[in-house]
Amino acid sequence: MGNNKTAAGCLGFGVGARVFCSIAVAIVALGVQQSAQGQQDPGRFEIRSASVELQSGVYYLDAWVEYRLSFEAREALEAGVALTLQTEVEFLRNRRFWFDDQEASLRQSYELQYRALSARYLVMNLNSGEQSSFATLFSALNFLGRITELPLIDAALLDSDAVYDIRIRAVLSTDDIPGPLRLLAFWRRDWSLQSEWYRWRLGE
Amino acid sequence: MGVLMWFAALMLFSPLAQDSEDFSRALPWILLINLVGIALLLVLILGSVLRLMRDYRRHVPGSRLKARMMTLLVALAVTPLLIIYAFAVQFINRGIDSWFDVDVAQGLGNALELSRTALNLQTREHLGDVLSMAQQLGSSNRADIVAELGELRRESGAAELTIFAANDQILATSSENPEYTVPRPPTDEVIFQLRQRGPSVSLEPQMEGSFLSLESQAEGGYVRLEPLVEGGYEILAAVNLSPETPGGEAPILQARFEVGQRISVLANLVEASYDEYAELSYLRDALKTNFTVMLTIVLLITLLAAVYGAFFSARRLVVPIQQLMAGTRAVARGDFDTRLPIPARDEIGFLINSFNDMTQRLARARKQASLSQQQVEDERRKVEVILARLSTGVVSLETDLRIRTANRSAGTILGVDLEAHLGESLVTLAETNQLLSQFLSVSRSHLDRGDYEWREQIVLHGDVGRRVLMCTCTALSGEREDPGGYIIVFDDITALLQAQRDAAWGEVARRLAHEIKNPLTPIQLSAERLRRRYLGAHYADSELLDRATHTIIQQVAAMKEMVNAFSEYARTPEMAMARFDLNQLIAEVADLYRHPEQPLTLQLHVDPELPIVEADAGRMRQVFNNLISNALESMERQTDKEIIISTRHLQRDGVELIEIKVVDNGPGFLDDVVDHAFDPYVTTKDKGTGLGLAIVKKLIEEHGGQISARNGERGGAEIAILLPVTREAGDAMLFATHRYDKRRERA
Repeated sequence: MGNNKTAAGCLGFGVGARVFCSIAVAIVALGVQQSAQGQQDPGRFEIRSASVELQSGVYYLDAWVEYRLSFEAREALEAGVALTLQTEVEFLRNRRFWFDDQEASLRQSYELQYRALSARYLVMNLNSGEQSSFATLFSALNFLGRITELPLIDAALLDSDAVYDIRIRAVLSTDDIPGPLRLLAFWRRDWSLQSEWYRWRLGE
Repeated sequence: MGVLMWFAALMLFSPLAQDSEDFSRALPWILLINLVGIALLLVLILGSVLRLMRDYRRHVPGSRLKARMMTLLVALAVTPLLIIYAFAVQFINRGIDSWFDVDVAQGLGNALELSRTALNLQTREHLGDVLSMAQQLGSSNRADIVAELGELRRESGAAELTIFAANDQILATSSENPEYTVPRPPTDEVIFQLRQRGPSVSLEPQMEGSFLSLESQAEGGYVRLEPLVEGGYEILAAVNLSPETPGGEAPILQARFEVGQRISVLANLVEASYDEYAELSYLRDALKTNFTVMLTIVLLITLLAAVYGAFFSARRLVVPIQQLMAGTRAVARGDFDTRLPIPARDEIGFLINSFNDMTQRLARARKQASLSQQQVEDERRKVEVILARLSTGVVSLETDLRIRTANRSAGTILGVDLEAHLGESLVTLAETNQLLSQFLSVSRSHLDRGDYEWREQIVLHGDVGRRVLMCTCTALSGEREDPGGYIIVFDDITALLQAQRDAAWGEVARRLAHEIKNPLTPIQLSAERLRRRYLGAHYADSELLDRATHTIIQQVAAMKEMVNAFSEYARTPEMAMARFDLNQLIAEVADLYRHPEQPLTLQLHVDPELPIVEADAGRMRQVFNNLISNALESMERQTDKEIIISTRHLQRDGVELIEIKVVDNGPGFLDDVVDHAFDPYVTTKDKGTGLGLAIVKKLIEEHGGQISARNGERGGAEIAILLPVTREAGDAMLFATHRYDKRRERA
């Protein structure tokens, strides 16, 4: 009698357990599938060097950014998806007893696109509107990576007495990627490409 | 709520139209909200499952039912959901895949190839132009270079023509555009290519470390098709010019040609289509993933909601059943006041209604029963009180003569505490009881014969003497013909009989006295006359006369005395009640008998705390006189005479009594006399009237007291008197049930 009871009870719970297990497996499989693809090149953005020069009252930025796109990003690019790369520059005022205050910031955006007909990689400076084309992705990324004499800010706008830090980073923007990718971009690392903040003191 | 949002979102989402930007942007957030919802549901469900398991193990009522219902509902909900889910996922995946036709891709690719080829023709043509221009410039004068440049440009139809020296210095330029814009210098790519003199294959390094081979289009020339951001194309061509000085850097001639509007547009369209298809094709997997994820989320939410709903419904359905179970248990324990709330107007509600109704009825019935029981109890108690105070003995017996009930009087009359032996057999009790065995034998003589209804006067002989009982027996109704038991009701009529006898005697005495007295006086008078007349003269028989008349007169006097004694016995003058000290009275009477010549030891053991008694002093004197003289007479032949008179104050049944004992050390009563000691004319003496004790008894009984006689342990006579202290007590005694001194009986 007791055995029957427990058997029935276990059966009931067994069914429930099986149901839950199957769903859990499905989710895990989905995740595994995703992660399996992630075995390919995840990509990496890195600021190799950066410096600022004061020339006739204006700060100019020279920087070298190494762009390595992830496999996914490259696939998207080759299929015609336009990628937006952004360089963010921030001026931080050092404060002794509180957090640093972000006094000024600048964002430089570029659009990278592959044109199938001409088989060329098009780079467009979204700030200035200039365009350049390249035969290979490598040269396009190289071009993007070399920032020369980018005007940042008038020296007059900064407080001469205060101590400032500058930091820059490079980011693959996901604002304008196509809808279906947006969901994936939400949690996948190959789409959330950005470099670390590269920070140094102004004046050194 | 998340499901509704999702549903709406699903409606908006169309597989081809990616233009629902707002939805796309909101997608991750919707997803997040739903995941939170799922997590919440999981937690709730887990909680419910744990609770159910704990209840199941503890055998909480209703838990098994809940578990069964739960699993059933879950199975019912989950199965179709899973089936639909599986199918939906399949459909979507297959559907999406079916849109992407290989033929279409092929076609688009071909179109692109065609466009490219068309444009390539132009590019080669323009390269040729630039090469020829370069040759022309090489052989011309440097001074007119600008003018020549302009002419060459117009001839060739280029949009812009520029000569760049080394380090991007512009040597000369000509532009179609009136607004002068600085020509862009040749890029590294161009320069790199041009540096390779002669046809060569240049290798463009790629990121992964491989190389892309670029064929040089012509000898020392560079041309490319440049896509414009705003749409349309231009062709860029560049060649080396002969250097100024031999061995120096060669200047570069760069030309920009616009591609024809019509071709541009078409090419753009083709590329656009191709791009779009390529993008879609690329996004195919992402799309499938999206849909699957959304479906899974929807499935999970629906599933978990269904499961939780199952828990909820199961619990709600089981609650009234649990309440019912609890209610049933309460009722079994005896708590009839449980009322269950009615959950709904369905069958379970009906059941609970019936339950409430039932308990209500039970409660009412129980109350009724307890009331009836109470009434019965009250009645029984009343009867008990009556029986207890009844002077008649009531004994009820089972058919096997076991005592069912007995009242106090029954015990008193029969001399056995029957109340303490309820349930025991009368037969066994009677073995140790003289009176009871006699009573029993008479009863059995009737009952064994089958005579259940009888009435008989029984005489019992015991230590205290004779008792006459008037017994009546009836049978209790039992099953069919046989009786369920017997009730025997008996009254002790000994006193009654005795009183009757006494009254009869009294009456006889009175009459006799009167009748006898009448002739006595004339006899005496006659005798006296005779003596007077004939005694003085000297007759011959004067001595005889003297003796005879003397005898006559003497005997008549004796008879008169006897008759007077009778009269006295029969007469009942008014009682002259007075309050006095009894001890003193006894002492006074005793003193009369203390003569120095009388060898009598008269001891008084009186109770110093004896209360003042209310009685007729004269009668009491007579009592003691009679008793003492009686004792003396019985001890006439003894030399060592001893009489002990003792008094004691006691209480019996709330009545204040004085116990007086007169004990002598004489021969005592004879066995056949002791029972009738107080009867008139019961005497062993030669002389005396034989009424002494009878008178004493009468006097005592007039006070409402009791008297009894027996032989003491030492052989002498022992008279015991119970005298009530007051008149009220005396009245109470007269009306009270006949009480025997149990101590005396047992002694």
